[in-house]
Amino acid sequence: MIRIEEFKQPQHNFRSVKFLNPKKLILPLSQHTGRPSSICVKMKDEVEEGQLLAKDEGFISAQLHSPAKGKILNIASFNHPVLKKGNAIVIQCSSEKKNYSLRKHVDSLENDEIIDIVKNNGIVGMGGAAFPTHVKLTPSKKIDTLIINGCECEPFLSTDHRLMVENLKEIFIGIEIIAKLIKPEQIIFALEENKSEEKKLINFYINTKKFNLPKINLMVLKTAYPQGGEKQLIYSTTKRKFPGGQLPLDAGCLVHNVATCFAIYEAVYLNKPLIERLVSFCGDSLVKPKNIWVKIGTTLQELFDQKILEFKNEPKKIISGGPMMGITLNNLEYPILKGSGGFLFLRDQVTKAEESACIKCAKCIDVCPMNLLPQEYVKRVKHEEYNNLSELNLQDCIECGCCAYICPAQIPIVHYIKEGKIYAPEN
Amino acid sequence: MPLKISSSPHLKTRRTVPFIMSQVIFALVPAITASILFFGTKAVFLILNCIITSVITEVIILKVRKKPSVIKDFSAVLTGLLLALILPPGTKWYAATLGSIFAILVGKHLFGGLGSNIFNPALIGRAFLVAAYPKMLTTFQLPKAFANFAVNSVDALSAATPLALRKFSHTITPSIDLFFGNVAGSIGETSALCLIIGGIYLIIRKIADWRITVSILTTIVLISAIGYLLNPLNGSIMFHLFSGGLLIGILFMATDPVTSPITKTGRYIFGVSVAAIIMIIRYFSGLPEGVMYSILFMNAFTPLINRYTRPRRFGE
Repeated sequence: MIRIEEFKQPQHNFRSVKFLNPKKLILPLSQHTGRPSSICVKMKDEVEEGQLLAKDEGFISAQLHSPAKGKILNIASFNHPVLKKGNAIVIQCSSEKKNYSLRKHVDSLENDEIIDIVKNNGIVGMGGAAFPTHVKLTPSKKIDTLIINGCECEPFLSTDHRLMVENLKEIFIGIEIIAKLIKPEQIIFALEENKSEEKKLINFYINTKKFNLPKINLMVLKTAYPQGGEKQLIYSTTKRKFPGGQLPLDAGCLVHNVATCFAIYEAVYLNKPLIERLVSFCGDSLVKPKNIWVKIGTTLQELFDQKILEFKNEPKKIISGGPMMGITLNNLEYPILKGSGGFLFLRDQVTKAEESACIKCAKCIDVCPMNLLPQEYVKRVKHEEYNNLSELNLQDCIECGCCAYICPAQIPIVHYIKEGKIYAPEN
Repeated sequence: MPLKISSSPHLKTRRTVPFIMSQVIFALVPAITASILFFGTKAVFLILNCIITSVITEVIILKVRKKPSVIKDFSAVLTGLLLALILPPGTKWYAATLGSIFAILVGKHLFGGLGSNIFNPALIGRAFLVAAYPKMLTTFQLPKAFANFAVNSVDALSAATPLALRKFSHTITPSIDLFFGNVAGSIGETSALCLIIGGIYLIIRKIADWRITVSILTTIVLISAIGYLLNPLNGSIMFHLFSGGLLIGILFMATDPVTSPITKTGRYIFGVSVAAIIMIIRYFSGLPEGVMYSILFMNAFTPLINRYTRPRRFGE
């Protein structure tokens, strides 16, 4: 793991703002890990806020709800920040808002009912991979340690930070719900040491003992990237390791992001589906970087049209996600997804990189959190020797980007690794 | 709005190849200073000769190979500088020029250029000169600043190096002289103090990997301690650490990333082996010093070491 410049100062201390009345929403059917959802509405249908738009398709899939009251304009292929293109539902929104009221008798809910609520509200992991949460809440093995991930190790992004500062009580209620379902022996709330503000708050909530939780500890980890990655976080907090192909539950662990805990709270207590999220908008091309609550499906273009965000200068790169793992976009016509943690608009912060010859310094090998051989992969991919890449555990690569970050020869190692993953024969 | 599309990550370190090379050159400044202090204009001309020849050779070869000129990366400068520092002060200009050409042409570009060479180019240059001009490369002088000024001749007195004195005259040079550099030797290798300052800088800045240096040092200390206990004439630990080309070799040449192993385990194996071979040569061979040959020898084993020391993937 490595220490990288954090770039978190500008929007760190601004309260989050809201932009919840977009004119148009674009909702791709594949916003989660697993099968795309299947549409259950038609063109020109009038939909209510929170109405089911697409059903889950199989075990690992998630439901999709309408983030606002409106009319279905179109169902067609549209830009997708991760998949480039994907089928999406386009909604023309009205400005009417729905009020959510607190659900009664939450305490008397059975575990099965809670899991159905989570599933029927389309909750997915908010850390980035967007894995359907109801699947993670029904583990096939005994979980002894529940890890709450508040690391947010990508530079620039600060939504988890703001959420922990502004909505910690709701996060704790979410943790309470997960603990009720999973019954872990201990809970570890993991933070990195650059988050001092929430450290005090979390300790305060732990000490109030208002929540019905088993043994819970706050663990403040040394800031490092990619510590927010599941495997790395489990190792940092419990020293447990498991090889590629195995899941956290094989090590008796379950990791949930703080924003997912918040979404679980909203689903269970307010019966509110996952239709809004907090997103970081940063970079040196923006007049003011912001953390904004937006409806899922809002396009970047609309945020600029409505002057919610303003350009200071023309960006050279627009990135969906953080600077280490994010994907570059070619225009602003992209929707915000359930798993979108942030968007970057960079001009001078784009590192100019000119690839030169590898000097075999092996810094890529030194920093690889998965103990792989990035330099070796590059050599083989360049020579189109794809055959024994799998033997060298190429598929274990999590594409965190540490190797390409540290490379003094500026070799786009992740690019070569992705190419290798496409051509390497499966074993 | 023309936007750049590229693979992640979008942040990169500022520590690029030219930066690393210039840091190594910077770390050699104390040793360069010492060499000029001790050997005067001879050192200045030797260093300039080697650097200029290396750079010109590099430019011409890159032109011939139709490769983009990458002189900015300072690697040719560094090769020339390192070669100069491991030559005796009496090296004639044509020998230094030839050695530099050989280092860049054969040591580096015949193998494919920067990053593809198997052997350390500066050491290849020196090995070539030792074979071509054996007498010139084994004739040393006492440092000018400390030489007997009563003699005051234009040519400094010829003198044996501490390791040669040990091997052939059974005389052990005092460690204090070795530490400051008041001994005969190649222009950049005599002052242990200056080399250590540069070496520590490189390791603290994480430019050079500590594993190789530390494993060589530990092994040298162990072997020389046993040797000293068996017979004090073998030389003390300090004697072996501070004499000959050991420090410049282990701090600036064995740690050359291109020619040393890429795996952590491999670096320990490499270091221990280099040290063991150095001590075998010093104790048992006809040569007084063995740093050059032991590093070159282990350079040849680097690909093999890499292959058998692949790290286990995370979780296994």
